[in-house]
Amino acid sequence: MKFDMDYIAHNNELSETNPYFKLFLTIILLIVTLALDNLYFDIFIFIVMSIVILAIAKINYRSYLKFLTIPMAFLVITCIFLIFFFGKGDVIYETGIFGIVVTTDSWHYGIYTFFRVMGCLPSLGFLALTTPIAKIFHCLDTMKVPKILIEIGLLMYNTIFIFLNEIDTMQKAQKTRMGYNSYMNSMKCLADLISNIFLRSLDKSETLQNSLDSRGYAGELPVYVPPKEE
Amino acid sequence: MHIMEGYLPLTWCIIWFVISFIIVAFGIYQIKKIVDETPESKALLAVSGAFMFILSSLKLPSVTGSCSHPCGNGLGAALFGPAVTAVLATIVLLFQALLLAHGGLTTLGANIFSMGIVGPFVAWIVYKGLTKANISSTIAIFFAAFLGDLLTYVATSFQLAFAFPAPTFGSALTKFLVIFAVTQVPLAIGEGILTVIIWDRLKAYKPKLLDKLGALAPNEA
Repeated sequence: MKFDMDYIAHNNELSETNPYFKLFLTIILLIVTLALDNLYFDIFIFIVMSIVILAIAKINYRSYLKFLTIPMAFLVITCIFLIFFFGKGDVIYETGIFGIVVTTDSWHYGIYTFFRVMGCLPSLGFLALTTPIAKIFHCLDTMKVPKILIEIGLLMYNTIFIFLNEIDTMQKAQKTRMGYNSYMNSMKCLADLISNIFLRSLDKSETLQNSLDSRGYAGELPVYVPPKEE
Repeated sequence: MHIMEGYLPLTWCIIWFVISFIIVAFGIYQIKKIVDETPESKALLAVSGAFMFILSSLKLPSVTGSCSHPCGNGLGAALFGPAVTAVLATIVLLFQALLLAHGGLTTLGANIFSMGIVGPFVAWIVYKGLTKANISSTIAIFFAAFLGDLLTYVATSFQLAFAFPAPTFGSALTKFLVIFAVTQVPLAIGEGILTVIIWDRLKAYKPKLLDKLGALAPNEA
């Protein structure tokens, strides 16, 4: 499955809790983490949010690690880059290669950036892994974000999953017919796939519009909000 | 290149949010006008947005083996114009942050600016300029996609250099440009070739549609 995160967001212990609370908590935590820019606070947030995600939302630790790995890989590379190639000031370590040195300044940059991202990632993960997209959009809708943006967003969200299935089928068909076996060939296959998807998407948009019209769509998608359980 | 969550200091997050907000607001205003005139176009916009998102989830074959994906800036901008593309890119980036953990919420403003505004805008100017000069739209779309992709990375380099001006803004910028923009050149050429092939197919199958969107060169219409 390509979008494990969407599945997880719908199936965890916290997916039914108040989305406003989750959205605001995430945004406030992110801003506080950025504003304080304090190493201990970053680590504190990282641990607390990880516990919330793993123990309270009961998300499989493998999925959580998978969520963290890709950004982490980038983070490590860029921070090493920051530490070795930036900054001025007192030299604290000499590598002896091409005069590359670590200075107090660059060390400061690298470490602070690393821990800032460490603090922010689980906060983003908390929102992304526990809240379905449709609920976030519904929140934004009540917060006076332009309706047109919300509607296009929601229609888009539905269409993405239809496309994913189609792409899967098409790619399998191409691969069984010797597709993607050399560089130029994979370019051609990919272009075939994309132009086909684009043409299909135009047909789809027509069908979508017809189906919306035939159900009395007048520029608004009403969402059912279940009454609170007592 | 998505700037990841928490990578930028708070001040720069806010600055990029404000700049992007103004331009995206203008884009929303334009979309509203389009939708008021032709209500059917809403579905087309939504499906095109989904198409952009899907594009970014497909891997572009690259020689070096590094993983990279087409960003579809050139195609989107040539078809729909930069303002509409900026709005669609905003939603796409939000989805990417929440569904794929690419980018983030605090860096959303900066990412919108580099990927949703600079890239499409450059691509659109290049495309319109070249087609006005009576150059075939196939060649124009190559340069639009190529430069749109490259300039996105240049914009990201600028943003990072602003955020980490060490020791000076200029030297930081050079370093980021070398790392991001120069390594991106072969990938940008790859995206250019890909876009040309797609464009050829579209011209062969749906010339009328391209004409209706006003995306063809004057001598081809």
